[in-house]
Amino acid sequence: MRIVLADVGLCVACRGCEYACAYEHNGSFERNASLMRVSFYPAARVAVSLTCMHCQEAWCLEVCPAGAISRDSDTGAVKIDASLCAGCKMCVLACPFGNIHFDHERGVAQKCDLCSGDPACVRSCTTGALRFVEPEDVAVTRRETLDARLLRVLATQRTGAAE
Amino acid sequence: MLARVAIVGNSAAALSALERFRQYDRQTPVTVVSAEPGVAYSRVLLPYYLGHKIHLRGLFIRTSSFYKRMGVELISGSSARVEEVDTASRRLKLASGRYVGFDKLLIASGSRPTRPPIPGIEHPAVHELWTLRDAVELEPLLRKGARMLVIGSGFVALQAAWVGYRRGLFVTVVELERRIMPRVLDEPAARLLSEAIGAHSVSVHTGTHTEGLEEDGRGGVHVYTRELGPLAADVVVVATGVRPNDALLAEALEPGLAGIPVDRSMATVVDGVFAAGDVARGPTALGGPLEIHALWPTAVEQGKVAGANLAGARLVYGGSLSMNVTEMFGYTVVSLGRIFETSGERVNVYRELRGVKYLKVIEKDGVPVGAVALGDPETASRLGQLRPLIRQRRGVKELQAILEEGLASRQLSDCLPRPVSGRYQRLKEA
Repeated sequence: MRIVLADVGLCVACRGCEYACAYEHNGSFERNASLMRVSFYPAARVAVSLTCMHCQEAWCLEVCPAGAISRDSDTGAVKIDASLCAGCKMCVLACPFGNIHFDHERGVAQKCDLCSGDPACVRSCTTGALRFVEPEDVAVTRRETLDARLLRVLATQRTGAAE
Repeated sequence: MLARVAIVGNSAAALSALERFRQYDRQTPVTVVSAEPGVAYSRVLLPYYLGHKIHLRGLFIRTSSFYKRMGVELISGSSARVEEVDTASRRLKLASGRYVGFDKLLIASGSRPTRPPIPGIEHPAVHELWTLRDAVELEPLLRKGARMLVIGSGFVALQAAWVGYRRGLFVTVVELERRIMPRVLDEPAARLLSEAIGAHSVSVHTGTHTEGLEEDGRGGVHVYTRELGPLAADVVVVATGVRPNDALLAEALEPGLAGIPVDRSMATVVDGVFAAGDVARGPTALGGPLEIHALWPTAVEQGKVAGANLAGARLVYGGSLSMNVTEMFGYTVVSLGRIFETSGERVNVYRELRGVKYLKVIEKDGVPVGAVALGDPETASRLGQLRPLIRQRRGVKELQAILEEGLASRQLSDCLPRPVSGRYQRLKEA
């Protein structure tokens, strides 16, 4: 399955993903209605966008007393069926990342469902910070990036030591 | 000889165990016996059904095809009540006279409500809100204008009061102790909730002893109290706590203590016999003596461990961590872990932290051990982020970070594009 991945170095905190998500899921442009949340730390000049991780062992899914949360067989997304949700908020409390939100109007819990495999947040991302990728590919990229960085550091140190 | 597994019970712990067991073992025959008829339903949802949030059919969380898919024989209904667990000859005796043999057994028989031992408490106007049957019986009685008296003020009691209020009944709550939710909320939180209940014109009488009930000659009852005199009611809901259905495994019980004691693998002292859910007294995430956490999430977790170990997987449970959440009288009420501090523990209290009206986090040796909060629904999402810290016993730095960042980001949010309301900002923003 593919996941939404954020490159913190590319995010400029434009919040386009939040607006896109809010419109996609709730037909509004209120940030409250977004299931993707961008946390911006101006002092550190860092913005972190975060939505559901679709955990392999999803505690929200296991704990839901209404059996309203299931895993989509196509996308692998952990989804809430609003027609089954009683609004008890057990999943909201269960999520260790605070990624499940509550829709006051309908009285149901709401979370990222990966937009059936074409996430609006990724489509709307103007800087390419958000990507929809296979975790395996990411792991490879990260390893290469990490190794390259390590090699650079080591090379510098060795040069330094030689001088 | 083919191994056989029997599961007593058909709710959170039993279902979770069954599903986990089948992930390891597709072959072994499994029998599920339950004294309640039909397929599994969700006890947690009963107040939502009475509040007309969901339909009756929404209460059922498994279909009959689920049991077929799981390769399980489901024997349910009053004739399937287990009369005896014979651990020597490895069989259950059901009320119908039928025997169910097992090699490994899970007891997930749950708990049952207790009623205060007062005269008249068995009057037909007195109801519980514990089983599907209770809820179905209560449903037609919740008529607009009727008088409802709730005995007790825990989660179930106040959910009943909240449903009664919303359906237009005149609701009165009587609680024996000096304040409401004595075991679920701390004093300041209880006071805030009491005020909110009062604002919804539901009368709450704490420190009130119920002494007896009497027919009023018109289908209702008079409830006699020591402090207030008689209270008239058409329907009485009693919710003063539950006790485990632990008599099945009397040989494993400890004198004077309720609940079947289990270790971290959910095994009882009887070889090949496990217990999980409301019936089990097990290890907690905070250490200390074994405790019964008669809560849905604990039942799910314990069931998962028991199910794996029924299949011989040797899964070890980190211990239960109580968590509870409900929305009533305008507040989302959340509690997590231990909510009463003891001496030497640090208490962090936050008030009016954006959507959170009141939040208390208890720290022991720099590690959070519990929290209680009242606020908007996002309050639950904030407290949820504390759960891994409590479980992993992560130190003071993280806790401080979460709480301080929560405060800092309030100031921070002032210089950002403003959300329509600050409600949805999280305590821990990264």
